[in-house]
Amino acid sequence: MRILIAGFGTVGQGFAEVLAARKEFLRNRYGKDVRIVCAMDSKTFAADPKGLDPLELVATKKATGKVGKETYTDSVKVMDSVEYDLLVEVSPTDINTGGVGLKNIRNALEHGKDVITVNKGPLALNFSELIGLAKKNKCKFRFEGSVGGAMPIINLCRENLVGENIKSIRGILNGTCNYILSKMDNGQPFEQALKEAQQMGYAETDPTSDVEGYDAACKVVILANSIFGRNVTFSDVNITGIRSITAEAVALASSHNMVIRLIGEVSDTKLEVSPRLIPKGHPLGLSGTLNAAQITTDLAGPVTVTGHGAGRIETASAILSDFISIMDDRD
Amino acid sequence: MLVNAELYVKDLPGQLVGSLEPISMVNGNIVGVVHNRDIIVNQRICVNVTFEVGSNDDLEKLKKAWKSRDILIASIGSVYKTCTMEYLLVGSFSASYVESLIDEASNVVSFESVDVNYSTANATNTMTAMITAEVLSQEDLEKLDKFLVSACREGGIVYIRGL
Repeated sequence: MRILIAGFGTVGQGFAEVLAARKEFLRNRYGKDVRIVCAMDSKTFAADPKGLDPLELVATKKATGKVGKETYTDSVKVMDSVEYDLLVEVSPTDINTGGVGLKNIRNALEHGKDVITVNKGPLALNFSELIGLAKKNKCKFRFEGSVGGAMPIINLCRENLVGENIKSIRGILNGTCNYILSKMDNGQPFEQALKEAQQMGYAETDPTSDVEGYDAACKVVILANSIFGRNVTFSDVNITGIRSITAEAVALASSHNMVIRLIGEVSDTKLEVSPRLIPKGHPLGLSGTLNAAQITTDLAGPVTVTGHGAGRIETASAILSDFISIMDDRD
Repeated sequence: MLVNAELYVKDLPGQLVGSLEPISMVNGNIVGVVHNRDIIVNQRICVNVTFEVGSNDDLEKLKKAWKSRDILIASIGSVYKTCTMEYLLVGSFSASYVESLIDEASNVVSFESVDVNYSTANATNTMTAMITAEVLSQEDLEKLDKFLVSACREGGIVYIRGL
């Protein structure tokens, strides 16, 4: 299996490390080596048909800020110059246009390559097109890590709960907002809690995507399209962020034994991200950076999952699970 | 339908079971039973039972069965299930605004009860109101949600509802 990694930031490096850590496991399971034949960051790339050492790639990136010595301006040209079987697309999310990630995924699927991505932009904007391309060209297209990071939800619903009639999914889909709201539970005002989240590295310098609910809205769209079979896009989501939540509102909620959490909700009729009142002790009332989702089904009743929604190795673990599914299908 | 009945049974062994058996005979589902041994009237003990039955016909059959077993029915009536939801409103408004909002909402749904708590931030002049509303059905909750979403959007008020 020859892998091309597009995007060599936190998640790309994490996946390279996970591949190195699971080298023996993969060799024993499939009787063959998994090779990274190309790795691209935003400006440079490294390629070798015999395979690149994953840990060396990470070390080079850390030491020089670049993954390779060769530069490029068009990622598609690099992809077309390399023989590969599977694209792992982990370039930065562009929620306005889908960005380079959308171009890369389109190109790979058009050429009959399997694709794994955690890039929310292309999925939130062009889901139907990409699924159609994958079907047309008989490619496998998986994206477990795009919602909830290491928390299994898409494959859980599409595989383990496939016989269920899923009525709704409600969940904490953004760890940054949950961290800020958890801090506000203890009396901190919003601005202070946000600053602390930024200092801890949980929130970006520009936190708009998180605190306005846009990141969670992308995930709601992905769940709606992939699990409920809807054909919706980012602009269809009813979004309210957490910027207007005051310390008084949190205190008043607390006096009624409740907390405020940013909840994404998807069903056949709903598509919403908004702050909600959650009873203390409810599975969706958890604190910190964790993600959680409650899937309401007709036979099994409510099924709740929780896990780390972001992080280098955590997100890479979701890519690994998709990778193993694809390898199992190929065997 | 959910029904609550207060019965008086003779203070003899087997009378409690004897009062509950007929409920099963009409395919009823017992939700709760309280055997009040301290309430004794004319050597009879009070049994309060809440149960679900399919129809009025079943309920009539049940009443006949109780009478045939010499079980006295002191009171019987329907019990309504209610739905409660909390709403948090944050913005620049007054308590009288919230009261008029609830008045308007009562034209849309029938409230069983409404409770409002307020909190004010002096520095920002922002008011927070926690409304706890009890209505008769899930449909009423949906109607109330739509009404409040629309009103809060018009008033520039942040609207947070329960799960």
